[in-house]
Amino acid sequence: MDKEKRTFAVRGMHCAACVGKVERALRGVPGVGAASVNLATERATVEWDPARADAPALASAVAAAGYELAEASAPATPGDATQDREQIARAEEQGRLRRRVLVGIALSIPIVLGSMTEVFPWAPAWLRDPWTLLLLATPVQFWVGADFHRGFLHDVRYRSASMSTLVSLGTNAAYFFSLAVTLWPHVFMDLGAMPYYETAAVVITLVALGRWLEARARGRTSEAIRRLVSLAPRTTRALRNGVEVDVPTSEVVVGDLVRIRPGERVPVDGEVVEGASTIDESMLTGESLPVEKAPGASVFGGTVNRTGSFVFRATRVGGETTLARIVKLVEEAQGSRAPIQRLADQVAAVFVPVVLAIAAATLVGWWLLGPSPSILYALTNAVAVLVIACPCAMGLATPTAIMVATGRGAEVGVLVKSATALETLANVDTVVFDKTGTLTVGRPTVTDVIAAPGVAEEDLLAFAAAAEQGSEHPIGEAIVARAKERGLALPPVTEFVTVPGQGIDALAPEGRLLLGNRALIEARGVDVSALAPRAEALAQAGKTVVYLAVAFRPLGLVAVADTLKPEARAVVGALRQRGIEVTMLTGDDRRTAAAIAREADIDRVLAEILPQDKAREIARLREHGRRVAMVGDGINDAPALAQADVGIAMGSGTDVAIEAADVTLMRGDLRGVVAAVDLSRRTIRIVKENLGWAFGYNVVLIPVAAGLLYPFWGVLLSPILAGAAMAFSSVSVVTNSLRLKRWRPSSQ
Amino acid sequence: MATDPVCKMTVEPTKAAAQSAYKGQTYYFCAVGCKQKFDREPEKYLAGGSSRMSGPR
Repeated sequence: MDKEKRTFAVRGMHCAACVGKVERALRGVPGVGAASVNLATERATVEWDPARADAPALASAVAAAGYELAEASAPATPGDATQDREQIARAEEQGRLRRRVLVGIALSIPIVLGSMTEVFPWAPAWLRDPWTLLLLATPVQFWVGADFHRGFLHDVRYRSASMSTLVSLGTNAAYFFSLAVTLWPHVFMDLGAMPYYETAAVVITLVALGRWLEARARGRTSEAIRRLVSLAPRTTRALRNGVEVDVPTSEVVVGDLVRIRPGERVPVDGEVVEGASTIDESMLTGESLPVEKAPGASVFGGTVNRTGSFVFRATRVGGETTLARIVKLVEEAQGSRAPIQRLADQVAAVFVPVVLAIAAATLVGWWLLGPSPSILYALTNAVAVLVIACPCAMGLATPTAIMVATGRGAEVGVLVKSATALETLANVDTVVFDKTGTLTVGRPTVTDVIAAPGVAEEDLLAFAAAAEQGSEHPIGEAIVARAKERGLALPPVTEFVTVPGQGIDALAPEGRLLLGNRALIEARGVDVSALAPRAEALAQAGKTVVYLAVAFRPLGLVAVADTLKPEARAVVGALRQRGIEVTMLTGDDRRTAAAIAREADIDRVLAEILPQDKAREIARLREHGRRVAMVGDGINDAPALAQADVGIAMGSGTDVAIEAADVTLMRGDLRGVVAAVDLSRRTIRIVKENLGWAFGYNVVLIPVAAGLLYPFWGVLLSPILAGAAMAFSSVSVVTNSLRLKRWRPSSQ
Repeated sequence: MATDPVCKMTVEPTKAAAQSAYKGQTYYFCAVGCKQKFDREPEKYLAGGSSRMSGPR
């Protein structure tokens, strides 16, 4: 029997707990094999037996859990312009939260003015009227706070607790108690009870504000896909019936002949049938050296043709192309991310049952032991416990720290895209670096100039640079750059002929000038066996070696290699010092990889990894219980960046990598990796302190609310005490978060 | 000046496209193709009689 596997959009999720609920709901449907739900992309991937279940059954199961399951928009394919439906939905969600926060603020201000008569004695009498306050507080309670009450109902159904539980419990207790006080003022006022409208309104508004701040950080994940998709040209020059016609790329079929001119992007995958060129495939492979293409060679959609012109036969189109597969990998990787439980929710999960127990004990205790009317005292004080147990600063603890930290990060060149990334980064125990362009500069530079006996190094370099002037090949550019650095005068060289894949054949005043690999030189009868051992040693070290001969006399060797960034070694050391294991991942051959790894002092190297397997390696590390941060720059790194717990892109890298990652390091400086880890650890410490401050004041007041002081001093919780706790904890939290402003990266 | 033993063109030794050492002598060619032909069957081109050897360098 065949399993059916599909991806749906899920709406209405806002926390890690939601993910578990939707997954449980889906797995609970008979016939469903596997279900995985992603919070960031708001997608669910479900596998089921079509004989026993169908899509409507899944949708109703999810609806019963309180969420919405919808058809996902079709997977994006290169050259296709229709997408981003989810992005629009996410923008709407943000707008919705923003409206609620604004309304909450607009209503909370007069409620506070009217309630805190001791602080604002000038507030007009009509504003102090409980009925006015009720009118103002009701929309805050039920419209602004609707999400929390919905979350509370979910939590009740699944016997779990989150921040929503606490918010909903506390504010409802405050609101309905205040309503009772408003309706029967004499019954309650005689006990000294006062309405708590301002507590309910301020808590809901501040927690909603925190939630909105976080939503703004989310919701840019599909951008990576959009960027990838736009890499393939929209139109393609196809040869049909011998005539060249421009057709939309989406209409190219297998077998079509496509013409590519210099500088154009290849639209789909295929095989060269006519002509030759070199193609920059760095976006797919990360390798900076362009690749020679002759008839029979494979070309890939999205890569950039350089100087030549050729015709190729399309072999893979639409969703089958290499580029489309990378898009799919990125989507799958984003869909497989395990959600993390936010710190605030973790605290709430423990706090809620304790508070409920205390409230129950208070109710029973006062009922049995309290003064008459004991039932009223019992109710009042149980409500007070619930009200005081919900610190409004709790909703601010994480968002304010994250906001200050991301702002400070941006100032020092570390752009953090999401709150969760900042929280996750602190616990990362493995950092995986891509090699080319991340650990290394990303383009070759001259590393060795080895002159034959009796030849001046300067002459060798001058001849080589003369042959390469005007070259667009990275090796040639490296040699010309080095000659320029040394201020060398180049001999006049003429009659350049590029021998594809081998080198350059030209004419210097001194005679025939040959610059290239061993095959080029030997094909012309020059004996270079004396230089061969040196060349072999350089190749062993992962360098690319070119031979130079003038007038059939071998003059020497020039070796070029992609070099390590100057800060790389120190960064690896600094990460290790922080207890983080460092691994290098590269598509390059073992030799080159080992040479760079040795230089950077990295002992774990995964070499010869195909681009599509990079993400799998990250997944494998994570299955072994590692928390992985991936640092990369290329399009081929995008799936791995999305797969990792935290993806870190080099700002000097491709847009796709930047969009797929959670953190971007400006200027491509590796020291940013250490800075990001440090900033994250510091932020987490601040968040924990904040939660301590937020809960601290209120925890101290719980015994007061429960009435433990009443037998001695007759003190019970009053709105003044509750208000003071709110004010002090909020100020403490915000002040504590602002300390992150002074954070600076350690100088390594 | 030397003569390409394959195509009989006159070539300037240093600016020739390729060279070959054979039995202690160095031969120069106008193109890599000529050298390849020569390297496969040197005697065929040298036995032609009219071929000119160039002196050792």
